[in-house]
Amino acid sequence: MSGFARLAGFIGLASLIACAGSVDPPIWDRPPPPIADSPVVDASKLHRFELDNGLSVIVLEDHRLPRVSLGIALRRGSASVEPERAGLAGFTAELMKRGAGDRDSLELASAIDALGSVFGVGADWDSITAQIWGLTRDLDSMLGILADVVLRPRFDTEEAVRARGELLAALERATDDPHYLERRFAAAALYAGARAGLPLSGSPETVAALDAATAREFHARMFVPNNAIFFASGDLDAGELLERVGAAFGAWPAGEIPDAGPPLPAPTPTARRILVVDRPDLTQARITLAHEGISRTDPDRLAASLLNEAIGGSGFSSRLMQRVRADAGLTYGVSSGFSLRRGGGSFAVATFTRVAEVRTVIDLLLTELERARREPPAGLELEEMRALQVGRFALGIETSDAVLDSLVNLEIYGLPEDSLDTYRSRIRAVTAAEVARLALELLHPERAAIVVVGPAAVITPQLQDLGPIEVVQP
Amino acid sequence: MRARSRFVLPIFAFVALLRAGELLANPAIDDSALRTRQTMLENGLTVLTLEDHTTPVVAFQMWIRVGSSDEARVTGLAHLFEHMMFKGSKNIPPEKHGQIIQSRGGRTNAYTTSDMTVYTTEIPSEALPLVIALEAERLANLDISEETLASEREVVLEERRMRTEDQPAGRAREALYALTFQALPYRWPVIGWRSDIASTTVEDCRDFFSTFYVPNNIVIAIVGDFDGDAALEQVRESFGNLAPAAEIPRYATREPPQSGVRRAEVQFDLRAPVLATAWHAPPAGHPDAEALDVASEILSGGRSSRIYRRLVHEEQIALSAHSVYSELAGAGIFGTYASVRPDASIDRVEALFLEEIARLRDEPVTAEELEKAKRQIEVAMVHQLTTNEAIAGRIGYDVTILGRIRPLEDQLAAIQAVDADDIQRVARTYLVDAGRNVVHVVPPPTSTEPGQGDS
Repeated sequence: MSGFARLAGFIGLASLIACAGSVDPPIWDRPPPPIADSPVVDASKLHRFELDNGLSVIVLEDHRLPRVSLGIALRRGSASVEPERAGLAGFTAELMKRGAGDRDSLELASAIDALGSVFGVGADWDSITAQIWGLTRDLDSMLGILADVVLRPRFDTEEAVRARGELLAALERATDDPHYLERRFAAAALYAGARAGLPLSGSPETVAALDAATAREFHARMFVPNNAIFFASGDLDAGELLERVGAAFGAWPAGEIPDAGPPLPAPTPTARRILVVDRPDLTQARITLAHEGISRTDPDRLAASLLNEAIGGSGFSSRLMQRVRADAGLTYGVSSGFSLRRGGGSFAVATFTRVAEVRTVIDLLLTELERARREPPAGLELEEMRALQVGRFALGIETSDAVLDSLVNLEIYGLPEDSLDTYRSRIRAVTAAEVARLALELLHPERAAIVVVGPAAVITPQLQDLGPIEVVQP
Repeated sequence: MRARSRFVLPIFAFVALLRAGELLANPAIDDSALRTRQTMLENGLTVLTLEDHTTPVVAFQMWIRVGSSDEARVTGLAHLFEHMMFKGSKNIPPEKHGQIIQSRGGRTNAYTTSDMTVYTTEIPSEALPLVIALEAERLANLDISEETLASEREVVLEERRMRTEDQPAGRAREALYALTFQALPYRWPVIGWRSDIASTTVEDCRDFFSTFYVPNNIVIAIVGDFDGDAALEQVRESFGNLAPAAEIPRYATREPPQSGVRRAEVQFDLRAPVLATAWHAPPAGHPDAEALDVASEILSGGRSSRIYRRLVHEEQIALSAHSVYSELAGAGIFGTYASVRPDASIDRVEALFLEEIARLRDEPVTAEELEKAKRQIEVAMVHQLTTNEAIAGRIGYDVTILGRIRPLEDQLAAIQAVDADDIQRVARTYLVDAGRNVVHVVPPPTSTEPGQGDS
């Protein structure tokens, strides 16, 4: 407290004397305060159980507001689906929302809307999640809806036909979106033939083959309690809730845990390849550079995240933001990231620029990746990335829902339960030498796939000497 | 939930942290915003402080009551200027502001709408003095150079390509506002017309800064884990000697009544056409706002709503469809939007959407629909209470645009008071045929498949 007041007084003084040439460094030139180390999760509010059928239960109490969030997450997702049936996990999730237990599609939607609740079922690469948010006083109704959807979905034939039609139309619409095309063809460039080479939502060919029976079979295979986590946060009593969870999910029979899917191919690509996705109408080209990355559980993931943040990441401070946006005015945004999945994942750098400048920008991206290998972040730059990561971590767990999301994610990947509490010390422990090693191991600009979405007639001539070019239609 | 402005342009936007609808809502809600302390400095700067020591973070927001609707000669200036606020001041080099915030574990951003410009920071509590010092520094000593402006113009042009020119929804929005407003300065896009962005000068920026970035046009909101007295004292010392403006220029323009349907078509290479329709609606703070919110919720809130059931589920002609009442400071829009399935007719989607609008005018809504819609709005409304950032946004908006903080209880009561007659009355008042504006974004009539082989 007195420290705050002293600091505040100092600033007033500093601004007064700034014109006369300051004697002390201004506040922004002083070193950041040390990173706080208090526990992230209040152990007295966090409760973990396991039912006899193997269902994990995580409850985080937070009584500040009369609201609750409940859900079921599976430790498997779209990666468990073979490429020929890509889109099946998302299709199944969609059908689960369209009728369960005694309620048909409209009755289920009406029940949810009448509570003012938000409800969703979604499939990611490594998990499938059903979740509902609402008021504490509606807890029983919400739990009933969740149990119906997870245990007793109807998979009505007519709804399946409608849902498939909607998904196919949505896939067609998605090609209007340059960002979608960029991601879709980047995945194709890295993982052709594998499930990961197709979008989460599948392709028109694979989705056209899906039906109610396929979804029912997939649901039965995937939704086993020993592969699932029940999670809840908010204004609830963990003991009481556990009883209700036992009543709702205790009779759910355990089953075989489905395969998590094959690891992603790596290294990929083994040589430079360039895909130009032809959209003659666009005035701005989307550009992605990509190759293999690391998995969600890779022991180097925190050091890799610091390296990534320094190169591009998702903030203001990165080398690429400075070079491509601030210095050159060639883009509004440039980012990079490792997509951390169970079976591996990609490393990608993505940006966009006016079509005439595609080559200039690609050269800047390649140069900065090369430079990251030669001059990896160290010293003050690395220190700032640590502070950035730690701070973003703190801001990312401001609500108990967010804390619980993180805990569930750790559980999905079998990572240590105390990972949130140890995060800051683990970030602090990363050395410059580790980051330098990873820059050499993980960055491969010379063979990265380059995907550009835009008018091929303008773009292709700029790229002639960069590598073999394929022009594809969206 | 009502949209508070039509078009928000963050300076920096690729971390889309979409919080899934966090819920709650109930009579027994503790509305922490009511504990806000409001102070006006002698130079007219308003400071809102609200302490909440739950988590050791703090949100700092600076609300400037200037947006694109205040622009006089160069459109897009409010937004381009917002970018320039990150391009350095006397003691801080270009880009450094954001980097310093990040290096202290914070995040900062800014956005511009037609009515306001907002600078936001969330940061660990101990760094609040730094944030206050940095904000005061750029207000007192902003430095706009030819060089940084030249590169930032290009950045904004890239932003315009990304959001508007290459995006069907962006094209629809731009056309819709240009069609709906023929007099009011809401008719041009927040990001501005391309030619204006390209020709904005340093002088334009400096004039804009000295005209609008004055303490009597600014509200500062600080919410979270901090000492209110100390922060207020520091704000007083850092911002207190900024000179107020005698007068802040505002348009006196009124929109003349619309007397007939207006239509526009935008041709774009796409597969799923976009339908956008707008009616004139009242401005922020109007007593009909809640009835329009409830009407919109009945039309399109959730999968049991009228529009979802009819257009998406039963007829299978739209991929998505929704309505929203958007309040602006000096006007309002009731808009409906649909993404048309590639195999469906946009005219049919428009016709059915209009049938549902007509039904709102012609028949009372059912008690069940009314209850459901109110509940959905209430739950979404209380969602605002969950983060410091959201609470700072709520009090900052209320004080900047309405001049006072609206108690949640009053808002909930106003929603509860809406009855079926109100819905019919506002539908008949605002959603009239002669006041309709319709935009179709469709492929060019002779769209040929491009057939280019490998190069």
